[in-house]
Formats: sequence, structure tokens, C-alpha cells
Amino acid sequence: MVSKERTQEIFKGLSQAVISYNEETSVELSKQALEEGIDPYDAVMNGLAAGMQRVGELYAESYYFVPELLLCSDALYAGLNILQPHIKTKEKEFSTKEQIVIGVVEGDIHDIGKNLVKVMFEAAGWSVHDLGKSVKLERFAEEQLKTNSEIVAISALMTTSMLAIPKVIEMVKAQNPNVGLLVGGAPITRDIAMAYGADGYAGDASSAVQEAYRILQCLRNKKNR
Amino acid sequence: MHFKQDRMTVKERINALFQNIKPDRVPLGSLSIGFQLINCGYALGDAYENAEKSFWATKWTAEQYGWDPISQLSMTAVFGAEDFGGRVRAPKSVYEGALVVESYPVQDEKDVDRLTMPDPKTAGRIPIAMRFAQLQAEHDLPVFFASRSPFTLAADISGVAPFCRWLLKKPELCERLIDLALEHITNVLRYWVETFGSERVFAWMIAPTESNQVISPRHFAKYAIPSLVEYQKRIQAMGIKRFGFHICGEQNLNLPILSEVLPWKHPSVLSFGHEVDLDVAAKYFPQDIIYGNIEPAVIQTGSPEDVYRLCKLAIEKGKKAPGGFVLGPSCGFPITPPPINVYAMTKAVHDFGWYE
Repeated sequence: MVSKERTQEIFKGLSQAVISYNEETSVELSKQALEEGIDPYDAVMNGLAAGMQRVGELYAESYYFVPELLLCSDALYAGLNILQPHIKTKEKEFSTKEQIVIGVVEGDIHDIGKNLVKVMFEAAGWSVHDLGKSVKLERFAEEQLKTNSEIVAISALMTTSMLAIPKVIEMVKAQNPNVGLLVGGAPITRDIAMAYGADGYAGDASSAVQEAYRILQCLRNKKNR
Repeated sequence: MHFKQDRMTVKERINALFQNIKPDRVPLGSLSIGFQLINCGYALGDAYENAEKSFWATKWTAEQYGWDPISQLSMTAVFGAEDFGGRVRAPKSVYEGALVVESYPVQDEKDVDRLTMPDPKTAGRIPIAMRFAQLQAEHDLPVFFASRSPFTLAADISGVAPFCRWLLKKPELCERLIDLALEHITNVLRYWVETFGSERVFAWMIAPTESNQVISPRHFAKYAIPSLVEYQKRIQAMGIKRFGFHICGEQNLNLPILSEVLPWKHPSVLSFGHEVDLDVAAKYFPQDIIYGNIEPAVIQTGSPEDVYRLCKLAIEKGKKAPGGFVLGPSCGFPITPPPINVYAMTKAVHDFGWYE
């Protein structure tokens, strides 16, 4: 039985590996966690995901920028690839109770921001259905229906492609008015997002998860009324 | 339209700006590549594939809305992805607003060493941009040479995500790409100078990847600034007198660094994203012509009153800039704004832009 101290040491090491974007250490410590009998779900949530949460804070503080975020997400995925196959189904279900469909709208191939938002949701334990970039508008509603996701996140980086966003929102809402729509991307502001009929807006990757939880809370409150 | 009569020709107005003389009124820029094509009933793709249509659409639209030729672009003459051997296509779908990169010439690290210098006269869309420039020369307009900055062009060769990763893990690859980008831009600029003469060429540079929405000021200072300084040396060595720099997006953290280096000749035109306050811009760069900074998303989705109000505020600030001011969008002009919002910018310049 692994000691509490050792478990904490591994968690801290995993977290630090993500923050310092060290893929090798992330892999090594993930393997050690499994070998030493540490629960892989705990290793993900208290180690890798905790590290990514700190990375989000560093980004919000303008200490980290996109290059750092990309490498931190590489370190996160390197560890996840080792640990995730060993997470028991029940925990998997627990860990992925919230689901999100995410994509960049048709006509737009800029997906760095979307990928960073994706990693933040994965680090927070969400199940992410990534449609990729330049996604046909109807695909958002189709994927939401297929996965029964609570949130659909839509991004655009251009003033031409942003015009597709209200159409996607309309399609998703027509199919299921209880789905939360989260919008982001360089030309979008909160005012524009609201005018488009979105339920929430995130200006960057670090605030997207929090905004999604806020939307979920609003939707649940509405449902309970 | 019943506007007060201009007291200067377009040419006189732009010349006045560069002589640090107050023009009759604030000039109106557009940074537009696609809107004018749609405005004239053409396809957006013509902006990138048909110099004649692009030129005439620009000329007619500039006349319609009173745009001054500062800057007046068909497109950037050099494209990192295409010129170095990647696959790029013109926009087709209704939501595509610019060229679409289908594949990058650099797919992995080894490809960086395999890159060869593009032909500065025939690569990519250079012949189309040259034809557009020839039409500008024939119509006695400034001949624009538009390029991305060496740093941004370098990231266009590999794609931004790999480039960002290499900045931290393998910076020597980024430095190699930046060197290639700088050489390519210089070679094509030299072609413009040889064709039109340095007096006529107006070099315009766009730098989106340097924004703090992407990189840190530390990386900006270390990797973007040296190539910017070197490019300026070459521009000045070629005898080019007019330079414009679109400091794209959120670059507030980069401004102190830029203002210490100041590699360009004064005055140059410095165009800012709406993320940068015009007062702040003027404070950092008092010897230069400040350009900006109406948010394209507002031009695209706002009401004419919204656009007019933003323009009034920008003009009030901009008129105080000691080096001069041009009203324009804060980034590329939107492709399909309501025409009345485009007119709102023109009206604001005529209502508030006169110098007494």
C-alpha cells in the first residue's frame, strides 16, 4: 500500500510536470503511479488536472502565453495517455459527467484557441466531443443530439466566419432549447455573443470552463423552477 | 451626401501627413481587401486571383466612401505557406474571409532544412500583387508593397502551433524560419523597388502573430524585434521613404519594447488594434502617424450609430496625436458589413475630422 506522503509526492510531481511542460516527467510519473498502486483517476485529477488548472491561472495572469499553454497541454496528454486506460468505468462515468461539443465554424481554420479550450475542459474532467475546424453548421446540432451534451461551444476568428455562429445557435436551440451555448473567438465580445443568442461567452481558454459551469447552473435552476 | 468641400486632394493630404503638416481633415483608411469586391458584385476570391477586378473594385469603392489610399492593398504580396511550397486556395464558402491554407510546406522539423528560397518574381501570388501594384502606378497612386512581418511570415511557413512549440523547445528552428522569411520579404520588396523606384513604394507590414494573444513580450523582444530591426535597415538602405506597420491585435505588452527600439524612419504609419488605446499609442509613438482603431466586429454587426460613435471617439483622441492621425479599422475591414456602417465612418470623418 502506497503511503499518503508518496501519493502526494506523485500528485505534486505530475502537477509540476504539466506546469513546467515536461512530457518525459509526466509519462514517467504516470507510470510510477500505476506501478505503485495509486488510483489513476486520483492521479489525473489531483496531479495532471490540478497542474493544468494552475496553467490556466498563469495564462490569465499573462505569465504564460500560447507557446507555454501548448506545451503544457502536450505534457497533460502524455500523462493522460498512460493513466486514462486504467481508470475504472464507474470513475470514468463520474469523471466525465459533463459533456461538451466543441468546434470552429465552417469557413474558419483557426483552431489553436479551440484546442486550448478543449484541453481545459478535459483537465476539468469533462467529456469533450471535438468536431475540429471549419465544421459544417449542422454538425454541431447533430453531435449534440448524438452525445446528449449539455454544452455546445462554438468558436470563430474572423468577421466572416463569426456570422455562422447565430445560425448554429438557432439550429441547436431549435433541436433542444435546454442546451447551453458557449461562444468565443477573437472578434466576438460578450455583447455580440448575447445578441447572437448564446448563453455564455469566454474571452480566453482560462475562463471557458468556469463560464460553462455558470451556464449549467443557470440551466439547472431554470429546469427546477 | 452634403459634405464640406475637401481643401486638399488625396495626394496632398497624404503628403501633408508625412511632412508632419496638419492636413485639411483626418484621412480615412480602410485596410480592406475583400469588402470592395463584394461591394462591386464580384466574388471574394477575385481579391486574391484577379488583380484587375481587385484594383477597379478598390478604386470605385474608395471613391464611393472617400477612402484615402493609406493603405490600399490587394493582398499581402508574400505568403509564407504558399511561396515556400504549401497549398493555399482562395476563399470559396460564404463564411471564408481570406486565403485558406490547405497544407504547410513544413510538416515536421526536418522540412525546415529542406526549404529553398522562393523566386521573388513568380512564387505564389506575387505576379498578381505585382499587377495590382502596376495598376496603382499607372493611376498615380502610392504603390503598396504589403507583407507580413518576418516573424509572422515564419510562423505561416510551419503553421502557428508548431512554431509556438519550437519557440520554447527548438528556437533554432524558429530562427532559421525567421531568417528565410526576412530574406524572402526583402527579395520581393527589392523587386518592387526595381520596378517602381524607391520613391513610389510604400512598404506596409502586418504582424498578427506577435500579438500578446499569442506570444509573450519576452519572446517578442527575443525573436521578433531583431528581424524587425534588420528589415528596417534594409528598407532604409533601399531608399524607401514610406512605411506602415499594422501592430495587430492585443500588443499592449509589446509597446514599451517597440517604443525603445523604434527602428523605422519617422514619421511612419502605425496601425493599432482596438485593444490598444489611441492615447496610449500616441504617447508611445509621438513622432509617428497613429492609425485606427475601429473594431471590425462592430462595423460588421453594430448599428451605424455604434460605428459613428466609435469613430467620433477615435477622431477626438486621434486629432491630439502629435504625429498625425488616420481613422481606420483596427484590423482587416470586414467583408460583408451593412453599407450604412461603412458610410458611418465616412460621415464621422466629415463631421468631426476637420482641422481648424
